[in-house]
Amino acid sequence: MKADPSGTVSPGAAGAAGSPGAADAAVQQPPLPVKMVIAGGFGVGKTTTVASISEIEPLTTEAAITTVAAGVDDLSHTPEKTTTTVAMDFGCITLDPTLKLYLFGTPGQERFGFMWDDVVEGALGGLVIVDARRLDDCYAAVDYFENRDIPFAVALNAFDGKVEYELDEVRWALDVSDHVPVTVFDARERGSVRDTLLVVLELALERVERAQGRA
Amino acid sequence: MKVAGEEPVEGDGALDEDGGGRASAVRPFLLTAGRVAGTAGTSKGPPIPIETQVVATSGGLAALDSFASEHREIIAACRRPQSLAELAARLRLHLNVVRVLADDLRAQGRLRVYVPRANAAQDASVLRRVIDGLRTVPDSRGFLREG
Repeated sequence: MKADPSGTVSPGAAGAAGSPGAADAAVQQPPLPVKMVIAGGFGVGKTTTVASISEIEPLTTEAAITTVAAGVDDLSHTPEKTTTTVAMDFGCITLDPTLKLYLFGTPGQERFGFMWDDVVEGALGGLVIVDARRLDDCYAAVDYFENRDIPFAVALNAFDGKVEYELDEVRWALDVSDHVPVTVFDARERGSVRDTLLVVLELALERVERAQGRA
Repeated sequence: MKVAGEEPVEGDGALDEDGGGRASAVRPFLLTAGRVAGTAGTSKGPPIPIETQVVATSGGLAALDSFASEHREIIAACRRPQSLAELAARLRLHLNVVRVLADDLRAQGRLRVYVPRANAAQDASVLRRVIDGLRTVPDSRGFLREG
């Protein structure tokens, strides 16, 4: 544990927790926080997904996101950026005393390109929840993760246990890369949410291991 | 006044999940003297991550009564480690206001701010720990909530 006099502490390689704070023994050591991002259109089940697995009732906070206006100035190639405040639901799971996973449900769909860098920076991976009847709503999220090279999966929320579209059709319609898992899940079922998050995490791990193998 | 951090704030569930801002608008920004995290005029570099853990120091807790309400609420809520996101939600403050206030309190030695490593997502051992931890989560339903 390194602690500089300013009070900002950089957790060591083993994570933030484990060693008692040298400077202030009374300070409880926090866990290493990690996060995943749950994206998708309005009403697709982001908050339900978070609620199904969170150990706390989902909280709502307001974050600033940057929206890039659809009308881009072609001469300058500088999209007009606007900062918007949006409500964001999130929850968390304490995986062990030294490790806590946060799940942030990020809003964003429609005609804007959203930049969630404030939320997404450092995320282990993303999950794009899809309602097969409204595939348009998730293009922005798919593009976002693809462009930023963040490991993600597309998960079709099986409302009422029914999936009206074949996964291959969804994959084709969204035009996601072959390496992006497309799966079906039930946002109301904890086990289903857990397994879907694991798909993303295993993809992330595979990528890191492959990158290290090349290095 | 409600003691901060005791229980989750009922998150204005009536509002649509992608809805716009509505929390206490003006006063927090007065407290930050108009400073907003992540914009010019505050600390250099990108804003600290929303999952950043914040913990009150014993000095901060001892001096609790000497602080104005928002500062006091933040310190009190940080008896146990909290993320910036949790603080903002529970105290109903804008995330960027919490960022500024937490940084002020850190500079005064009242809070410790544990900025997570930037490269955790590229760390295979962290990913394995998350995977192993998540696998132990049982099948049954999570926190029951309608809607």
